[in-house]
Amino acid sequence: MRRQERADAYEEFAAARAGHLYRSACLLTAGDTHLAEDLVQETLGKLYVGWGRLSRVGNPAGYAQTVLTRTYLAHQRRRSSTERATDLLPDLPDPGASGADTPLRLTLLQALSRLPAKDRAVVVLRYWEDRSVEETADVMQVSSAAVRTRCVRALGRLRELLGENLDEYARP
Amino acid sequence: MSDAQHSDLLDPFEERLTAGLHDAGNAFETDRAALVTAGALKGRRRLLRRRNAAVMSGAAGIALVGVGGALLLPSGDPAKGRGSAATSTLASASAPTPVSADTLTRTLEHQLVVGRGGTYGEFTKIEARGTDEGLSPYVRLVFNDGKGAAAVSVTMDRIQPGSDDARQITTCPGKAFTHYDACGTSRLADGSVVMVLQGYEYPDRRVDTKWWNAELVTPQGQHVSLNEWNAAAEKDSPITRPQPPFSAAQLRKVAASKIWRDAIDAMPVNSNSPTTPSSSSTGAAVSVTSTLRTLVPKGLAVSEAGDPGDTGFGYLVVDDGKGKTLVQVNVQADMADVEGELFGSDAEVLADGTKVATHQGPGEKGGTGVVMWTVDTMRPDGSRVVISAFNSGAQDTAATRKSPALTMKQLREIALSPKWR
Repeated sequence: MRRQERADAYEEFAAARAGHLYRSACLLTAGDTHLAEDLVQETLGKLYVGWGRLSRVGNPAGYAQTVLTRTYLAHQRRRSSTERATDLLPDLPDPGASGADTPLRLTLLQALSRLPAKDRAVVVLRYWEDRSVEETADVMQVSSAAVRTRCVRALGRLRELLGENLDEYARP
Repeated sequence: MSDAQHSDLLDPFEERLTAGLHDAGNAFETDRAALVTAGALKGRRRLLRRRNAAVMSGAAGIALVGVGGALLLPSGDPAKGRGSAATSTLASASAPTPVSADTLTRTLEHQLVVGRGGTYGEFTKIEARGTDEGLSPYVRLVFNDGKGAAAVSVTMDRIQPGSDDARQITTCPGKAFTHYDACGTSRLADGSVVMVLQGYEYPDRRVDTKWWNAELVTPQGQHVSLNEWNAAAEKDSPITRPQPPFSAAQLRKVAASKIWRDAIDAMPVNSNSPTTPSSSSTGAAVSVTSTLRTLVPKGLAVSEAGDPGDTGFGYLVVDDGKGKTLVQVNVQADMADVEGELFGSDAEVLADGTKVATHQGPGEKGGTGVVMWTVDTMRPDGSRVVISAFNSGAQDTAATRKSPALTMKQLREIALSPKWR
């Protein structure tokens, strides 16, 4: 690919994917929009640097999601090595940005925020990104068995926290 | 997405969770254009810091925050210098006044016209975000004083004072990596450090669009980035004037304007504010360039060297009399989680468990005939040393010799040296 085409392809890709990456990041961070924005910027920055190679390997969208997830996990790892766990919730989304009637969304985000970082990543990859257990394991660089364990644990915790709250989403 | 395909396998709770996540996730909206611009700027900084060549393959797992040289310490008790920027901000300004997008825009407009001694200016494509919108403030616009349209932008954020990042942002890149006409770093009376770089948008200069940039970091960790081009957009836009509007001296002055710092102080303190640097993230604080100097074979003349204060990345340009060779090294800690990605099943495993992978291929930065020889190593504790050598003094200039001045065996010996531990 010629350089100009490559630059154009990057711009086009970033513009097309930024919104989805941001929404994924908001779920990963359980609604911490500041951190989400930083994570996406970091992800796009990394993709910018490696775009030449990346654009040749195919599925850059999938790779972007992988970079985002790992950037998030690395961030959490750094935090956990320097900070003690806290019960403080992260910033919740600006109600103005998400519509006025969002109690259920807030409840869901609060429940996500109660999960350990890796469990949350598993939930987001499995149920928001619709990745299979094997794909999730690849992204997180752990075994499929570890993903299944985390997933079962996270679902159990979410059931406990959300109870019947999600019934609104039940299929008719 | 393949919802339909997977949904058959989901139990009712999983189905509802999927629906709930989509509902919650899709409610988040942001300024995408700003994200893309900020992402590209971050990428550009990364390129300037040259962490990419050997790093990208494992980029997803890298932590770049480190304990590097304490160039930027808050004034007062140096022992408190490692405190968080967020804390400093809180302590110094109990109730900062929000700074609106309008105020930021007017400030930049004023500097572009009156600040440059002019009386006329036309502003178009104005986009700005104030501190009352919850996210990092910025302003960008296209300015025309009658001599040609120019894109100008200011972004503001916080950074950990004294961190590797703070130092690298204000350190001029090596000529081996970036073409530029001038670059200088100076310290202001208040202890802030500002770098002004007069470079080019495209590293290979296929179009001579000029990109001039000032990066200012204060002792409190306020970071202002001012960027300007001699075109109406960063890329894909014709050159409209010989130079961007602000001179180097003006860039330095405008970046130091108090209003940008007021805006940073007014930014909400959030959980992502820089925290105490983790000593585990870049491993032992050993100067990579200085260590590399002690390990290259004797008899090579060194014509250029990396920042001796950098504990994660270093380089030398050496010459054995037959042409220049760029040698660069990345040292990273805690990389075990990406081991599988970096070292395939065919990687060599030494008696002590250290893995070694080698690559010999074409360079990646467009220099004609440039080859890149790499030895990648990871010890059982997850510490990684990657060394690459090129048959040129820079990756984006044409080859100056047939092969690098160091053999693969020599590169391997350097990477495996106990001095990196």
